[in-house]
Amino acid sequence: MSLTSLDPRVTRLHLPDGEIPPMEQKPALDQFETYEVFHLKKEGAAYTYVGPVHAPNEEVGFLFAKEQYSRRFPCVGLWIIRTDHIQVTPYAGDGENIYEMIRAEEPGTRSEQAEPYEIFQLKKRGKAHVHAGRVTATSFQEALQEAKQAFGEKGPVVNVWIVKSGHVLQSGEEDRDMWLTVPDKKYREATAYKVMDKITKFKEEQRNTPA
Amino acid sequence: MNEQAIKDLLYKLADDELILGHRNSEWTGFGPILEEDIAFSSMAQDKIGHSLAFYTLLQELGESDPDTVAFTRNARQFHNSQLVELPNGEYDFSLIRHFLYDNAEIIRFEMLSQSNYEPIAKVATKLKGEVKYHVLHANTWIRNLGSSTEEAILRLQSSLNEALPYALGMFEVSTFEQELIDTGIYGGEEAVKAEWLQRVQAVLGKTKLKLPELNGITPKLGGRYGEHTAHLQPLLDEMSEVFNIDPTAEW
Repeated sequence: MSLTSLDPRVTRLHLPDGEIPPMEQKPALDQFETYEVFHLKKEGAAYTYVGPVHAPNEEVGFLFAKEQYSRRFPCVGLWIIRTDHIQVTPYAGDGENIYEMIRAEEPGTRSEQAEPYEIFQLKKRGKAHVHAGRVTATSFQEALQEAKQAFGEKGPVVNVWIVKSGHVLQSGEEDRDMWLTVPDKKYREATAYKVMDKITKFKEEQRNTPA
Repeated sequence: MNEQAIKDLLYKLADDELILGHRNSEWTGFGPILEEDIAFSSMAQDKIGHSLAFYTLLQELGESDPDTVAFTRNARQFHNSQLVELPNGEYDFSLIRHFLYDNAEIIRFEMLSQSNYEPIAKVATKLKGEVKYHVLHANTWIRNLGSSTEEAILRLQSSLNEALPYALGMFEVSTFEQELIDTGIYGGEEAVKAEWLQRVQAVLGKTKLKLPELNGITPKLGGRYGEHTAHLQPLLDEMSEVFNIDPTAEW
């Protein structure tokens, strides 16, 4: 006997009806690595953190991020960063400024030449990290000090993420038309389905039908 | 401007998109991993959206409304290539079909965005970016999986061999082919096919997959003239099930 379902796709699989044989045990931690995703809502705004994706590599991460984080509402660009490429400062409390609370540390390693780093700041717990700008440095520690100079005075800042610019996979100018039609896709938004009128009408009919 | 020629072109574009959109939507909830399931489903939705855009142009030329055209014709009246109606098979087959189809589709959209027939040019220009993402998705997977494990490479190669005669059937020429080319409405199937071969080869060249020798292959033709495999009618029956129960249903 094979399984029959109201979903014809399930029936077509000819699955055995009854007990399912146990799946082969998977090795521990058999998972994709994670990537962090930032989106640009509109021209002139700043890249803002939207969430992580699991993916086997950066370019597949981009494919997944595009659909998971930009399938609704306007978007003109995406950045993808492998999670372990992001250096994270300790967290301060709301209203505090983390730049004032951490001591400048001596870097363990320095690059021979200064290179660009991207700085993302969290202004308030529960909000999202927002791209503050770019600094040039020879280490993460120096980049943090540079960021303090450049962006730290406009506190409060409760947390900072620091990433080498070369580790950011960025969508290009020529990719913008991939998002051109997203705002038209109202059918992807819950608000497009106005069902209350229909439910009210249905309830009316039920009430007016003698039992 | 020959309306018959334009209608023929629109029907083949729209029917390809509708049937493949429906086929690919059959993966919803069954995708290999959640993220890919979402991506593949979104693209299926895009394709059905493209068919709606082309059916709407047909309606402006006097054909029935898009729902009637999509849900009430039988297999003989469809102009899609046989490639898009084949069952999904396993994911390797669906990915290979996606790769072969979308690399042709983007060329059609690029061409049509330059069409002398302005309504088509407008639609193609607007929707081109969506197809661009579909191609990026397909090419990224083929590049990654096509040079990964032995199982992945074997599966993809076998699906490629199986799909190729049908993929060549996408380029079956229309009765109005020369007229469409001469009037600057459409660049024609031979031009699409030549460019397609280059693009497909460029991606496969970065993998361990090999495009079979084309000389030995007979393309599966007939789809553009209503000849289909046994798989199309059951698909249409399933797709139009709700419509046939209640043509006025809304949701």
